[in-house]
Amino acid sequence: MKTAVITVLIVWILLSGVAWMLQPKPDDLSKTNLTWLSDDNPTRREQLGLFNRLNPQYNVRLDPVDTNTGGGMEKVIVQSIAGVGPDLFDSYGSYKLATYVKAGIAWDVTDELKNAGIDVKKDAWKLALSSVVYKGRVYGVPSNVGTPAIWFNKDLFDKYKVPYPKNVRTWKEFLPILQRLTIRDEHGRVKQYGFLCDSWMVTQFIWQWGGRTYTPDGTKCVIDSPEAIAGVQFFHDLMYKYHVMPTPNDEAAMATQGGWGSGTMTLFMGGKGAMALGGRYWLCSLRDIKELKLGAIECPYGPHKIYWGSSRVTIINKNSPRRKAALAFLKYLASHDYNELVNHQADCVSPMKAYCYTDKYMHDPDYPNEDFNAVWRDTNDYAMTEEVSPFINAQTAGRIVEKQLDLVRNNQKPATQAMKAAAREVNAEIQKNLDRDPNLRAEYDRLMGTKAK
Amino acid sequence: MKTTRRQRNVVIAAGFLLPNLLGFLVFTAGPVAFSLVMSLSNWNIQHTVPFQWTFLRNFVDLWHDQSFWLYFVNTIYLMLGLPLAIAGSLVLALLLSQNLRGITIYRTLFYLPSITSGIALMILWKALYNPDFGPINAVINWTLQTFHINGILHALFGTSVTPPQWLLATRNLLGLDVEKVGFLPAQWGLGARDAIIIMGIWIAVGGNNMLLYLAALTNLPQELVEAAQLDGAGKWAVFKNVTWPYLAPTTFFIVVMSFIGGLQGGFEQARVMTGGGPAGTTMTMSYYIYTKAFEEFQVGYASAVSWVLFIIIFIVTLINWRLSNKEVNY
Repeated sequence: MKTAVITVLIVWILLSGVAWMLQPKPDDLSKTNLTWLSDDNPTRREQLGLFNRLNPQYNVRLDPVDTNTGGGMEKVIVQSIAGVGPDLFDSYGSYKLATYVKAGIAWDVTDELKNAGIDVKKDAWKLALSSVVYKGRVYGVPSNVGTPAIWFNKDLFDKYKVPYPKNVRTWKEFLPILQRLTIRDEHGRVKQYGFLCDSWMVTQFIWQWGGRTYTPDGTKCVIDSPEAIAGVQFFHDLMYKYHVMPTPNDEAAMATQGGWGSGTMTLFMGGKGAMALGGRYWLCSLRDIKELKLGAIECPYGPHKIYWGSSRVTIINKNSPRRKAALAFLKYLASHDYNELVNHQADCVSPMKAYCYTDKYMHDPDYPNEDFNAVWRDTNDYAMTEEVSPFINAQTAGRIVEKQLDLVRNNQKPATQAMKAAAREVNAEIQKNLDRDPNLRAEYDRLMGTKAK
Repeated sequence: MKTTRRQRNVVIAAGFLLPNLLGFLVFTAGPVAFSLVMSLSNWNIQHTVPFQWTFLRNFVDLWHDQSFWLYFVNTIYLMLGLPLAIAGSLVLALLLSQNLRGITIYRTLFYLPSITSGIALMILWKALYNPDFGPINAVINWTLQTFHINGILHALFGTSVTPPQWLLATRNLLGLDVEKVGFLPAQWGLGARDAIIIMGIWIAVGGNNMLLYLAALTNLPQELVEAAQLDGAGKWAVFKNVTWPYLAPTTFFIVVMSFIGGLQGGFEQARVMTGGGPAGTTMTMSYYIYTKAFEEFQVGYASAVSWVLFIIIFIVTLINWRLSNKEVNY
C-alpha cells in the first residue's frame, strides 16, 4: 500500500511538472491584449498576424467558435452576461446585430468611425449594411462579404465532353447541362451528380421564384405564398424529379464529413459533383488540390435574379474595458492592407467595395489560373440578405421552418403542405409574442394600421 | 462558557463540511432556486422583450406548446431501450461473474465503451448507420439477398423490404407522427430514434449497470446457491429463486437511476448525431431546454420546462419507489 501511495505521489508530481512546462506563456504586459471571437478557419490567423505586425502595441488573439452551428451568438451573449465577453466578436446578419444591440453588447461606433475617416455606409458593399447598421447607427465594420455562385470542375466537363457553361441565365437553361453531368454506374446508382447545393440554400430558390418569408414590415409570415412554394418545389424537384442533385440520404451515403467549409464543398472536392453552389471562400480549401481545374459562373435564377448574400461583420463589445483599443482593429478592417489580404486569401471578397475593382483583384499574380474573380464581385449586386421579422425570434422561426423543410427535403411531405404548416406555426408564434409584449403589440398595431390606410 | 467535547466535534465537522456546503449552495442550490424564480418571468437574455413577472404564464404556454409534447414523447420513446439495456447488463454481469481464465480482460473489454469518449462513439455509430455504405446496412442487404427474403415476401405478400435510412428517417417502431402527438401508419419502420436507442443499449449493456450487477453477484452468498442446488434446483431455478431476489435492491437502484437518466438524456446524441432532426424527431426535453435557453435565449421559458421536467422525474421516481419497494425483499 505504501509503495502504491508513493508511486501515485511521484507520478502526480511528475505530471504537475509537465503541466507546468506546457502552460501557455503569460501575456506580454507591454502590449494591449485583445480577444477576437471568430471562426477558426485557415485565413483567420493570417489576418490576425498582419494586424499584430502592423500594430505592435496590440496583441489580438483568436477565441475560436464554430459559426456553422450558430454557436457564436450563444457564446458572446452568455460570456458577456458573465462579464468575460470577448473584446471583439463576429456577427452575421441583421437579426444578430439587433440582438446584440438590444442586449447591450454591441458598441455604437458611428462617431468613432466618422472621426477615423471611415464611412462604412459609403465604402462597404450595400449587402453588408443590414448586418452592421441598426436604426441608422453603425455598430462595426464588415470583415468580408459573399454571395454564392456556381463552381465547376473543368476536368469532369472535359471527361464527359460537355462544353463549359457560358451565358447560362435561368435554371431552365441550366437543367440539361446538369442532367448530362449526372453520371450513373452499371447498377444505375449515381456516381457523380450534376449539381451540389447546401440544403439551407433553399431560401435562395424561394426568393428567385418571387417568394418571401415575411411581408416587408415583418407582420406576417408568407412563406406559403404560391411563389415561395414554387421555389421550394423546384429545389425538391432537383433531387426527386430531375435527379441531378443528391437527396439528404444520398449525401449521407457519400460520406460527407463537414468540418470547416461544408459537406457540399467536401463532395465537390472529392469529384462527386460536376458543379456546386458555393462561395468564393471555398478557394481557401480548393486551392490545396493542385490538380483541380476550376471555373465559375453566376448562379442561374428563376423568374427573379436574386442571390443569397451575407456579410461577416466585426463588432466591439460595449462592456469591454479595452473597447477604445479595439477600435484599432476596426480601422484595420477598413484598411488597404486588410482588404487586399482578404481578396488574396479568397476569404469571400473584401468588405470595402473599391478593392474588388482593381487589377490585382482580377488577376492575382500568385494564382494566375483564377480567371473568375469578376463573378464573385458582380453577383454581390444582386444579393439579398436574410429576412427577419421584429415580431418573432429568428431562431424560433428558423426551427419551425427548418422542420417543415426537412420533411420536404426527405420527400415526406409535399412542399405546399409543408410551407402552409410553417407559415401557420410562425404566425401563431408571432401572435403569441404579441400577447406577451404590449410594446410589440403597439408596434404591430401601428404597422397594421398604416397598412390599412 | 465551557464547550463540551460534542459541541467541539460539531464545530470541527461543520468546518470540514463547510467548503462542500458552500459549493453546493452557490453552484447547485442557488441556481436551482434562481431557475424556479426565473420560470415565473419572461426573462430573455437578448432583452428583446422587457422583463416582466409572468407568474404561471410560462407553464400555461407550455401546456399548449405542441413542440414540448412532441419532444416529451420523443424522450419517452428513447427510454424504450431501458429494459433491454438493463436486462443486457444483467446477462453480461452473469457471464462475467463466471470463474474463467482471463475474465479480467473480458470485463475490461466490455466496460471499454463506458470509458471511451462519448462523442467519439457517436461519430463512430454515425458512420455505422450510413444508409448506403455503413456496415449495418451492408449486413442487412447481404441477408436480404442471400436468403432471397424480398423474393419470398413478394411472392407471399406482394411486398418487399429495404434497409432503414437510420439517422435520416423519421420512421419509428410505434408509428409515431412527426408533427403531432399521435400515430401515423406511414411512419412505421426504423428511423433516427431507433438508431439512437440501439446505440444507447450497446453503450449501456457494458456500462455502470453491469458493474453494479457484477459487484452484487460477487457478494451473492454461495451457501444459498448450494442449499438450493442440494434441494435439486437447476440453473434457472437457482437464478429465479436465489440470484434474482438477491439482486432486487441493485435492480431497484438501477431502474430508478435509469429512469432519471432517461428523462434527462438524449442531449449529446441529438447534438452530435442528428442536430435534433430529422424534423425534430430526436429532440428530447433536455435538448429543448438547451434550445430555448441558449439558442432562442428564452431563459424564463426554458426554466419552466426544466421545472416541469423535474416534476415529471420526481413523480416517476416516486411511482418507481412505491412499486419497486414491494418487490425488494433483501
